[in-house]
Amino acid sequence: MMPFDPSALTLEMLVAALGLGVLILGLIVPHGSRHGLGWLSFFGLLGIMGVALSMWGDNRELLSGMYLLDNYALFWKITFMLSAALVILGCMRYVDSMGGQAEYYSMIIFATLGMMVMASAGDFITLYLGLELMTIAFIILVCFRKMEAKSVEAGMKYILLAGMSSAVLLYGLSLLYGLTGSVIILEVSRIIALQPVTPALVLAVVMLVAGLGFKISAVPFHMWTPDVYEGAPTPVTSFLAMGSKAASFAILLRLFIAGLPGIWENWTMVVAILAAVTIIFGNLVAIPQTNVKRLLAYSSIAQAGYILVGLVTATEAGIKGVMFYAFLYVFATVGAFTVATYFYHVTGSDELKDYAGLSQRSPLMAAVMLVAMLSMAGIPPLAGFVGKFYLFKTIVDGYLWLVFIGLIMSMVSVYYYLRVALVMYRDEPADPTPIKLPSPVAVTLIVAMVVTLVIGIYPGPLSEVVNEAAHTFFMH
Amino acid sequence: MLAISLTHYVVLSALLFSIGLFGVLTKRNAVAVLICIELMLNAVNINLVAFSKYVTPTDFIGQIFSIFVITVAAAEVGVGLAIIIAIYRNRLSVNLDDFDWLKW
Amino acid sequence: MSDWAGVFIFLVVALIFGAGGIVTSFLIHPRRQNPAKLEEYECGLPTRGPTWVQFRTSYFLYALLFVIFDVETIYLYPWAVKFQSLGLFAFIEMIIFIFILIVGLWYAWKEGALEWK
Repeated sequence: MMPFDPSALTLEMLVAALGLGVLILGLIVPHGSRHGLGWLSFFGLLGIMGVALSMWGDNRELLSGMYLLDNYALFWKITFMLSAALVILGCMRYVDSMGGQAEYYSMIIFATLGMMVMASAGDFITLYLGLELMTIAFIILVCFRKMEAKSVEAGMKYILLAGMSSAVLLYGLSLLYGLTGSVIILEVSRIIALQPVTPALVLAVVMLVAGLGFKISAVPFHMWTPDVYEGAPTPVTSFLAMGSKAASFAILLRLFIAGLPGIWENWTMVVAILAAVTIIFGNLVAIPQTNVKRLLAYSSIAQAGYILVGLVTATEAGIKGVMFYAFLYVFATVGAFTVATYFYHVTGSDELKDYAGLSQRSPLMAAVMLVAMLSMAGIPPLAGFVGKFYLFKTIVDGYLWLVFIGLIMSMVSVYYYLRVALVMYRDEPADPTPIKLPSPVAVTLIVAMVVTLVIGIYPGPLSEVVNEAAHTFFMH
Repeated sequence: MLAISLTHYVVLSALLFSIGLFGVLTKRNAVAVLICIELMLNAVNINLVAFSKYVTPTDFIGQIFSIFVITVAAAEVGVGLAIIIAIYRNRLSVNLDDFDWLKW
Repeated sequence: MSDWAGVFIFLVVALIFGAGGIVTSFLIHPRRQNPAKLEEYECGLPTRGPTWVQFRTSYFLYALLFVIFDVETIYLYPWAVKFQSLGLFAFIEMIIFIFILIVGLWYAWKEGALEWK
């Protein structure tokens, strides 16, 4: 065995140190001057992202495959840090009014750390630890406003269902370990390819699908999503919607495409059906929603269905589609949820009818919401269109029915996204006072909008980066 | 006398897991649901340790895995109980049927 | 089989020994009641109020902290057993691990979780 090289874990150690540092500073710094912690977390994450960029192209296996360093993992790590940094930038004012900055920012950073560990996980133990680190940090974040009954109730529902899904996932993992005698994903893959498909193996795969399906809120396992999304503080909801989901997809790809390719024909149909049901259900139930956070929750369920399409063929093109879509989904989500956060901060409401005339009160907020939603719906000049194109291109041969479902449901989704746009642009505001945006929020919104537009019009560079990242997936 | 084999452990763990899952889905008391989740995790631990002994007798990876499961489960229960205390202070109830402020 | 027979006999004898005393005394004891017999034994205090009271949540907070710090020591055992062969690197790792735990304790202390309110 090769000696362990600690420098390979630089990113994880830096993020852990940042999280601990923020927590310790929160203990030392007096209450009045804690808003600096947000800036510290933001610039800290940006700095670590810089370090991450310099590690591009470093493809290794550590500890005989327990920890995988490759461009695939690095791309996800950068995505997670980017989304965490954007969430922090967009919610500083909100957090200052809520209090508990040190805990809040350090929990966001620890959740990011959990996601990063998941992206690199090469064995079941690392996978489980990363997943639980992320989940527990999210549980604490969801019930962060502990005096507010809705927030605590959401946290309670989240922990009970998350605990159950982790247990189901773990049982599946333990069965896989029992069948193969190894917990290292690449070894498991080699051994499974040599074995016949037994009922125990099928049970293990079903349990993995169920456990991870919960994390990405695919349809039969989605019931927690709307409640938790509505009850949680809005910035947490946005981080939950993109970070947690993206990390779960990162591990889903690793587990199924790298770990279970030998029995590919056995799970691919299940995933295709899961994707179809998720797309249909998410979009149809989003139509009657009147609460913006709930609407975004159902739309995020539908988005999970679209991303799941990339898993169906288990090819490099599919992986590329998933990564591309997840990256731009981060920006659309940040845009939409930052608007919702700040709107709630000003008006204390998440109801759609209160968004009436937002375009007159704050043109920027209305424009960002519009761009984000049209991108999620997949309207051509925006990033979402390119993402959906890459995803559905992979399944045109063989799964044409799924392509049709995706197309029809995208049209359905335009309906409810445009309903929000109509309320914002056509209706007269009940209270016409303009909403003044503090500059960090404005910067977040502009970044989200510009990136969504630029990727939509000029997807080439990102596509190439994603290609390179997806290419290293099969190197080990 | 019947020797105890791997099958016994796996059946025990499957039973324990099913009891836990049944409890999670039917119990209406939040603390009871947490206990049932613990049952499920302990079923996993039995599985891991048994597989470690019978499938890979030379390395202890399954036992190490179960140590991690135990500690993470403790952390999870810690957070869960803290939430239950907070919600009890809010509502004076731990019955899940009462938590309907959000549509369930 | 014969190895376990001893254990089994031991178990049966222990059960008979314990249960036998209780059953015998139940069968032969004189059945006479008087108030003095129903009082608390010697210096015991008379009970007040119902037995099924709710405990203060402060107990739970202590219990939670205890459980978390208690379970984390599980990692110290394998390290301690293999201390000689693992060397300096593992020692530094363990120091970092304990440092993180101490930060947690410090946090709990500072936030007043250890105060008895």
